[in-house]
Amino acid sequence: MLVFLGKRLAFMALTMLAVSILLFLLLEVNGDAVAVKVLGPYTTDEQRALWLVANGYDRPLYVRYFEWLGNILRGDFGQSIRFRVPVSEVLWPRLANTAILGAVTFGVMIPLALVLGVLAGMREGSRLDRSISVGSIVTTSIPEFASAVLLTFLFVFWLGWLPGTSAMNDGFAWRELVLPVTVLVLYGFGYIARMTRASMAEVMQTPYIRTAVLKGLPYRQVILRHALRNALIAPFTVIMLQINWLLSGVIVVEFFFAYKGFGALLLEASLNQDIYLIQACAMVAVFVAVTTQTIADIGYTYLNPRIRFA
Amino acid sequence: MTEKNDGTRLDAEAVGTLERVHPKLPRVAAGVERGTVSRREFLRTATLLGLSAGAAYAMAGRLTGEPFAPAARAQAGTPVAGGTLRVSMNIKEISDPATVDWSEKGNELRHVIEPLVRISSDNVAVPHLAESWTASEDLRTWTFKLRRGVTWSNGDEFGADDVVANFVRWMDPAVGSSNYGRFSALRTSNDDGSSMLENGVVKIDDHTVEFNLRVPFLALPESMGDYPCLIAHRSFQGGNWVENPIGTGPFELVELTVGSRARYRRRESGWWGGEVYLEGIDYVDHGDDPAAPLAALASGQVDMLYRLNVEQVPAARAIPSLVLYQADTAQTGVARMKVDQAPFDDVRVRQAIQACIDHGRLLTLAYQNLGIPGEDHHVAPVHPEYAELPKPTQDYDRARALLAEAGYADGLDIQIDCVAQPTWEPNTSQALVEMLRPAGINLAVNIMPGGTYWDRWTTTPFGFTSWTHRPIGTQVLSLAYRSGVPWNESSYSNPDFDALLDKAEATLDVEERRAIMEELQRMLQGDAVIVQPYWRSIATASSQAVQGYAHHPAEEHHFEQVWLSQG
Repeated sequence: MLVFLGKRLAFMALTMLAVSILLFLLLEVNGDAVAVKVLGPYTTDEQRALWLVANGYDRPLYVRYFEWLGNILRGDFGQSIRFRVPVSEVLWPRLANTAILGAVTFGVMIPLALVLGVLAGMREGSRLDRSISVGSIVTTSIPEFASAVLLTFLFVFWLGWLPGTSAMNDGFAWRELVLPVTVLVLYGFGYIARMTRASMAEVMQTPYIRTAVLKGLPYRQVILRHALRNALIAPFTVIMLQINWLLSGVIVVEFFFAYKGFGALLLEASLNQDIYLIQACAMVAVFVAVTTQTIADIGYTYLNPRIRFA
Repeated sequence: MTEKNDGTRLDAEAVGTLERVHPKLPRVAAGVERGTVSRREFLRTATLLGLSAGAAYAMAGRLTGEPFAPAARAQAGTPVAGGTLRVSMNIKEISDPATVDWSEKGNELRHVIEPLVRISSDNVAVPHLAESWTASEDLRTWTFKLRRGVTWSNGDEFGADDVVANFVRWMDPAVGSSNYGRFSALRTSNDDGSSMLENGVVKIDDHTVEFNLRVPFLALPESMGDYPCLIAHRSFQGGNWVENPIGTGPFELVELTVGSRARYRRRESGWWGGEVYLEGIDYVDHGDDPAAPLAALASGQVDMLYRLNVEQVPAARAIPSLVLYQADTAQTGVARMKVDQAPFDDVRVRQAIQACIDHGRLLTLAYQNLGIPGEDHHVAPVHPEYAELPKPTQDYDRARALLAEAGYADGLDIQIDCVAQPTWEPNTSQALVEMLRPAGINLAVNIMPGGTYWDRWTTTPFGFTSWTHRPIGTQVLSLAYRSGVPWNESSYSNPDFDALLDKAEATLDVEERRAIMEELQRMLQGDAVIVQPYWRSIATASSQAVQGYAHHPAEEHHFEQVWLSQG
């Protein structure tokens, strides 16, 4: 088990390293382009040349890379061009905001999807199964930008029940989370519910479940003790993938509701070519992706009795 | 009207007053009576030459015989003090007031620091931190009297030193202020890198500043109303202004987070201009999605929008709880061609492109017909010196003939760069595609994020650039079409044009100036530097609680008279 863990972590570190090299090469090889971004387009060549020397861009690429990597490991991502403050001052609060949005979304979406998925999968082909399946296909097929518009029209402009944006200008407000969370849950839950349903339906047809039922075990116990654990392996992967989606895939929702989160930051950084901020956001996004996958791999070994390490 | 025509409606005393302000003013006043000078032009010239706004409005009323009411402000009942006005607007970085380049940035600053001259919402230059000004006969020496009793928020007295310090910074090419081009008359030459005249800006006493210009410049006071001309404290010499925001204005900056919010509170030590009703201002940044601010307004999260996009006007009208504001402006967008880059270095190509344009149709297609068709010379009908030329017409035969002459008989493939937001810009570019096609011109639209476009707006061969409102016609011509100035995005360079522009800027008499403008307009049209689809009207919306707000043609926020009704 320890060897397995070590291998996974080493692989994770290697991936991060490869990504960091790639990012650095993409954004920093051309020092002149960096100088233009930092100093603005109206600067003279002399000003740029001075800046390049002052910031060490005249040194060899590998020296710059290792210094950059060292800074990142210490949490120093450089100065944001757009916000005129250190990147970390912008990055962490935005990440925290997205974590809040993600946690609330997860808190609603996962139980909802699992319960509905299990209910549907338990009795395949029943009326309940068909309603849940069709419902989840419909909500998952409506893209976020469409459901956001629809819900805003309904609850903001027509009924006037909810605030239209979620900038949290006067501090944290649950009311402002309702619409973005609803949009995300509507879009995301169907996928997990369908996976759970399929997995559950498959398990329900296995001989050991039939045996358990025929043995006279209470149905409740068959589901909870025997079916569920095996049925959760496939949804578990999907759920771990959803963490990535909630980090950078929420751009549309954050943009639409003016929520000050990580996804919106990533978009702003790209639109303004704020390269240090782009680097930081990309590193964070990749870190989260790699970490969740590692956790998913480890999680399998617990859930799936066929994967065992001596 | 029973007044006779052989004399003047003004008595000797009034004429004397005008003469004391400027010897040419009585002549302008006579022009108003004859009907050759508009009331607005009189107001502009008179306040510009130092007559107080109140006196000028009163005088104009007597000259035209019409009672005068200032531009209508949305107002009901007696102003109530208190409350915080919440406004949705993008919060941009404003480390140096001298280099701001967006109206939003100007608004972030202007509650705290103020200009010498303010352009009112009815497009007249009104003294602000300056109390009055006089010009020499040749319009080359201007004396500005500064308002007394104005104090900075740190307790210092506002005075000539502040004004001189700001001008010295602006005229230093290393600072990179657009004021460097705006006040080129203060420099030793028009060339890039030239420095300010030694006696360009002189402190006469603590409250008097004299400007000595190389060439006559009529629009000096009006230029001081532009957004990079807000006067910072004399101690500001670069660095980040936000860290120590000393100001003379009605509000103090409490917090500014780029991309998020900006908060202001009423200055406790009082404002020189009198009572300020609002306790504070709270700007909220709702990002780049134009739907978000409207949703915020509709659900009561903000009281006012910075801007309502033209596509949103019908939606906003459908919400009964909102108040809509509209202002006709000299705001526009131009599809400008880089005249020194192929294929646009051939004037026939540019003329062919112009010949394909039906301006009125573009206005309908891309801007819901909310504006005035353009004439490809960047001088607006709302400008006092606008000269009416024959309207350009669509002529595909001429376009095809010109293209053939230029060697593109088999068609021409070109691309235009354009920002993604606001949508009227890509919409207009898209409409251009259809309009150019019948002449054999295949236009591709390269839509890009604002940040990307504004990095290359002065270098791209063909780009669609939006231009903000400026009160008189010579101002944009001077910023955008004079040889070698930083914002000359088309690289248009024509010594005759520059010389005529100098002359126009030196001509007080509006009829004489209009004659020169006619030439300038013809030159720009003939040299086919731009396709200018239309002049657009602008709009915004507020909740019904907002009182005393007038929408400004340059989207400037003047909030000291704004108040919030209760309930």
